Amino acid sequence: MTGKKILIIDDDRHLLLGLAARLKGSGYEVVCAKDGTAGINLARQELPDLVILDLGMPGEDGFRVLERMREVACLSAIPVIVLTARAPADNEKRALDSGAVAFFQKPTSNHQFLSAIRQTLGETIALSTFLRT
Amino acid sequence: MRAGLLDLDAWGGILTTFGQTMKVAVALTDSAGHVLGKCHNAQAVWTLIRDAAHDWTGCSFCISTGVPCTAVAEALRVGAVISVRDEAGLTHVAVPLLLGNQQLGAIIAGQVFDRYPDPLQLQRVAKEFGVSSQQLWDLSRKQRPVTSAVLQTSADLLCALGKAFLQQRYGAILEASLADTNGHFRLLVDGVRDHALFTIDTTGRVTGWNAGAERMFGYVESEIVGQNFSCIFTPEDIQNHVPERHLNKASQSGRIEDEGWRIRGNQKQFWADVNITSLLDDAGPIRGFAIIVQDVTERRKLVTVMEEARQERARVQERLLSHVSHELRTPLTAIYLFTTNVLDGLLGDLNSEQHGHLSLAVDNVKQLKSMVSDLLDITRVETNKLTVELQQVLLAKLLADVLNTCKTNASSKKISLHSNVAFDLPFVWADPARLRQILINLIDNGIKFTPEGGTVTVESRPFAEDNKFLCISVSDTGCGISPENYEMVFERLAQVKNGTQAGRSGLGLGLFISRDLVSRQGGRIWVESQLGRGSTFYLTLPVFSLARLCAHVFTAANLEAGFVTLIAVDVVWVEGTVQADIVPEIRKILERCIHPGEDMVLSSLGGAEPVETFFIIACTDANGFSVIAKRISRELQDFDNTSRLKPVISSTTLLVPPDQSRDEQIGGVMETIEELIRKHLVGKKKLK
Repeated sequence: MTGKKILIIDDDRHLLLGLAARLKGSGYEVVCAKDGTAGINLARQELPDLVILDLGMPGEDGFRVLERMREVACLSAIPVIVLTARAPADNEKRALDSGAVAFFQKPTSNHQFLSAIRQTLGETIALSTFLRT
Repeated sequence: MRAGLLDLDAWGGILTTFGQTMKVAVALTDSAGHVLGKCHNAQAVWTLIRDAAHDWTGCSFCISTGVPCTAVAEALRVGAVISVRDEAGLTHVAVPLLLGNQQLGAIIAGQVFDRYPDPLQLQRVAKEFGVSSQQLWDLSRKQRPVTSAVLQTSADLLCALGKAFLQQRYGAILEASLADTNGHFRLLVDGVRDHALFTIDTTGRVTGWNAGAERMFGYVESEIVGQNFSCIFTPEDIQNHVPERHLNKASQSGRIEDEGWRIRGNQKQFWADVNITSLLDDAGPIRGFAIIVQDVTERRKLVTVMEEARQERARVQERLLSHVSHELRTPLTAIYLFTTNVLDGLLGDLNSEQHGHLSLAVDNVKQLKSMVSDLLDITRVETNKLTVELQQVLLAKLLADVLNTCKTNASSKKISLHSNVAFDLPFVWADPARLRQILINLIDNGIKFTPEGGTVTVESRPFAEDNKFLCISVSDTGCGISPENYEMVFERLAQVKNGTQAGRSGLGLGLFISRDLVSRQGGRIWVESQLGRGSTFYLTLPVFSLARLCAHVFTAANLEAGFVTLIAVDVVWVEGTVQADIVPEIRKILERCIHPGEDMVLSSLGGAEPVETFFIIACTDANGFSVIAKRISRELQDFDNTSRLKPVISSTTLLVPPDQSRDEQIGGVMETIEELIRKHLVGKKKLK
């Protein structure tokens, strides 16, 4: 166990189930929320080390979640990785500008995604090098 | 033969003007199809072929081998327009000139592509005539295909012109007014009804005015002759000296085309298609200009409406596909996660058969994923929105990266992936992300169609046919492609069925998209193959050349001014690293500060963070530089209100030696500029 806690916010419960199993398999503690509002509440409660966030969700969408996380002091420092089915062309810049540390379009390879998580959590070095390539 | 009946002097001018207006080659022939007098045939493709084949004996309008063109004979026989397609894919028409039963001759017009030329056909023609197929391809690509409807209209107009000529000629052949060429011109042009044709002298005063012009502009000849032709321009155009500029350009280059608003005598505006051709006496100075105007307001309306409808349809299609792609990605992600979770043993051990089956499932998910990405690209090909952003690319580095990506795929199929790439190749001018996409597609295809134990080899070298290009090849030892499918594999939804290749081949969009992308980068892509032995896909890319990139800056007028200034704008990032998304913004700002079309901005030609360098080549002297520099400082200050960046602007003004040929001038200036850029960048790296 790495002891790190990851919160996944996504309205697709199959994704929650599958990704949670994968992350648990890699030694992370995982909590899940199925929409933006529940995600924010759970984040306050659990104070995760990392948030994996979908963009298109009913109610408060991913961008709104990014916005609200920046407003709350205890959440503002938590890194967020966006994992969405939306095209990077229209959303990547906006997500990064709103404070996300990385953007992945679904489906992404486990290897790349887990590397990004490890780097974001400081388990390996040179996040900036990774994100720039 | 009735050649004597056709007045070459009178026809020469008219047909040339016609050819230039309609953008087609045109000539007058006798009844046996021999070209009479000079013909207007500056079509680049044909000139290339004709110059290569010194002993040209074929039809002057046909690029065909061994088969005489029968268009003229056929047109005269049936008394109607005949259209023919030659081996290079060029279409031309023969318009018969018949006076009763008498066969006077014909007008041949055309040499246009009525559809996208077939690369294989071009390759064959190039080989036959000993010209470079790359050059032939480039020329033919530049020549926009016209629809057969346009060619038909053009032929109809020629028929009308022919009839008018014959009527005039035989109605008034003895009239003394035919003595001077202007008289010929008058007689002919008055027969043309829906075009305004008029002549002006070198100062812009109207000297001739046909019936069509009278109808179009509402001025009768007696009131307009002697007036300046600027009265047909809008007040704004007159204020901006557009009429003078048009005449200047027409004097320099012989002719210009323009589309824009013009004004009738009653002050109503219409959208005009205008051609101005300078009238030359034999080897003498310019005598004046012939102007042809067509009222295309209706066409413009129609084009606008059609364009709007097309764009709307494209938007709907793109919205739909982007929605479909989004909806497909979500379940695909779930399938991928569940299968890989089981496959990687997160839910317990698997036996080898279970493992094998799940691996196949994951392979299929990956295939689906790339199809979903292709779906969006394909709409963009069709809506012409697939964009490339060209920059200089070091091929060796990019290929190493691509091979690394494809490695896993190859080794899982026990295929060895070789590369043979020289490290001293010059930079290419390409879009790195798109080039990556193309190469991965080609290599993955190679892997897909090669049986276990085979090899896929990637090579890169200077293109033997043309040193301005590099050639990349991807060869496999797979099942191969039969010659009749060489072209088909690049078509949309291509699915080459072959007994030896099992399995699906994706959506069949990869090569179609690749061809569009390669073509947008100025190169071409083709395949050579041997059934059962393997295939080699070749693609060419232009070598980066500063001189070619800047060619349009060095026009005759600019060189005559005598100065060229190289401006270096070093933008220093105060807060450390260069932000990639800001670089294009800054480039746009710099482009606003220069004379568009005359000066040009180059992005940094070699990074050295935290400084990004832009070079501007400006046709101006030191005074002009200080104006540009002030503007740049001000605009960058406005843009960067948080002061994250600091511009450092420097310049070197070069004198262009006046007593050299244009090529020598450009060569000398480019050499110095390249040297200055190199020195500047080296200096900057040292600073760092």
